[in-house]
Amino acid sequence: MTPVLSPKGRRNVWLRQFLLQGCWNYEGMQNVGFAYAILPALREFYAGRPEEALKAVKRHLEFFNTQPAMGAVILGASVRLEERVAAGEADPRSIGTFKVGLMGSLGAIGDAFFWGALRPMASAAGAILAMLHPWLGIIALLTLYNATHLPIRFRAFAAGMEGQEGAVAWLKQAALNVRTEDRKLAAAVLGGAYAGAYAGRHAPLGGDAVHTVVLFFVGAALVRLFTGLFRKAVSPSEILSFLFLLGALILWD
Amino acid sequence: MALRFALAALLGALCYLDRTAAFQLMLHRPLVVATLVGGIFGNLTAGAQIGGVLELLYLARLPVGASVPPDDTGAAVFAGAAAAGASSSIGLDGGSFTALLLLSVPFAELGKLADRYVRKVNGRIAHLTAEAVDRGDFRAVEHGLLAGLTLFALTGAVLTLAFSGAGMAVSKLLLSRFGPASRQEFSALQLVLPLLGAASVYSCSRTERTAAVFFLTMAAVFGAIVFFRWAG
Repeated sequence: MTPVLSPKGRRNVWLRQFLLQGCWNYEGMQNVGFAYAILPALREFYAGRPEEALKAVKRHLEFFNTQPAMGAVILGASVRLEERVAAGEADPRSIGTFKVGLMGSLGAIGDAFFWGALRPMASAAGAILAMLHPWLGIIALLTLYNATHLPIRFRAFAAGMEGQEGAVAWLKQAALNVRTEDRKLAAAVLGGAYAGAYAGRHAPLGGDAVHTVVLFFVGAALVRLFTGLFRKAVSPSEILSFLFLLGALILWD
Repeated sequence: MALRFALAALLGALCYLDRTAAFQLMLHRPLVVATLVGGIFGNLTAGAQIGGVLELLYLARLPVGASVPPDDTGAAVFAGAAAAGASSSIGLDGGSFTALLLLSVPFAELGKLADRYVRKVNGRIAHLTAEAVDRGDFRAVEHGLLAGLTLFALTGAVLTLAFSGAGMAVSKLLLSRFGPASRQEFSALQLVLPLLGAASVYSCSRTERTAAVFFLTMAAVFGAIVFFRWAG
């Protein structure tokens, strides 16, 4: 008979996904975190079979790395696969193959969506609203990010728990590539508004329109210049250090 | 003052956990950290002003694979404490604001080094965990994870104590050595830093569609703000 994960076990696994990077290291990356997250399920599936339980734990201590929020779908599907392995319906090696096969592509999708689109959008909104009131900025940043992040964690895990087919169907339906483009567009609008707001606040008043226009174009050119430097792998710290030196020279004069 | 540092250390432990080890709810973002640290040291608004600029500066460096981006949480701890300290002594004028943002760079790099060290020690923990599991003790997975979490949290608390202490020291001892005229000269760079932050956002969001949108929005908001300032 196929063992079924209890609601308590399922809740524990879901909560433990938030500690996926708890012991992040250069060798196995998220391996300890993944084994920790799936442990409540393994305890239930292999109750009274300590040797098999041990083998299962070892399986999940192998190298694993993906974008942490996207780890939820792999975790859910791995629970479902372990369920089948414990019932003798699947080969234990299929779990490793499945995890390795999915972690790279989901990592790339997740990095582009969460770090490359959602976070810049939420950060820019927070930074703009913080000019009006500190709490407004913080609330905007946390709400915009987590209103998307937490439901994805929840739905991805639930989809994974429906098995590999459920995971694939959810990935199709979630259309993260389209959502990435939308968030990038929103981030561009907010980033432009942020730059315009700062430049506008520093523009000289007093009737000299040429100065004002020149200031805008200098601001836009600086944004282009910094973006070009980022593309050439110059880090923000290097640019800031250069600016610090420039500041020191100004003071020296 | 000791209570303030204790509170900051507690906040630092939580935020550094959120940064890598747990949750990833964005509690570690500079806007959140600098505002709260500023609040702890006496000026929430000063912390938010400096955190708002820091929030965007390092966005272009993504935490992808094994790469560790600069520690903007640490930079925010330093800058938040220093901004609150400066606002209660010499005042947070344009020059002090710019100087604190630029002085936060070494702290971002120091925090990055500490982060790398923690991850190396975690490698040893993971190795010991695997050995214990080989011996038949799979509770070692839970102990290993707890050890990793503790290490991240302790490092966060220690870094926060050190960085907020440095922030207070810089605001009280270093900034006050420069007169208003010197700070006024330094504020020439004040506009450049937010533009560097905006470039980080632009760099992340850059596609064929978004380039025009970014600069058109920048022009529209710039024009609107100049008009409203001019109109009164």
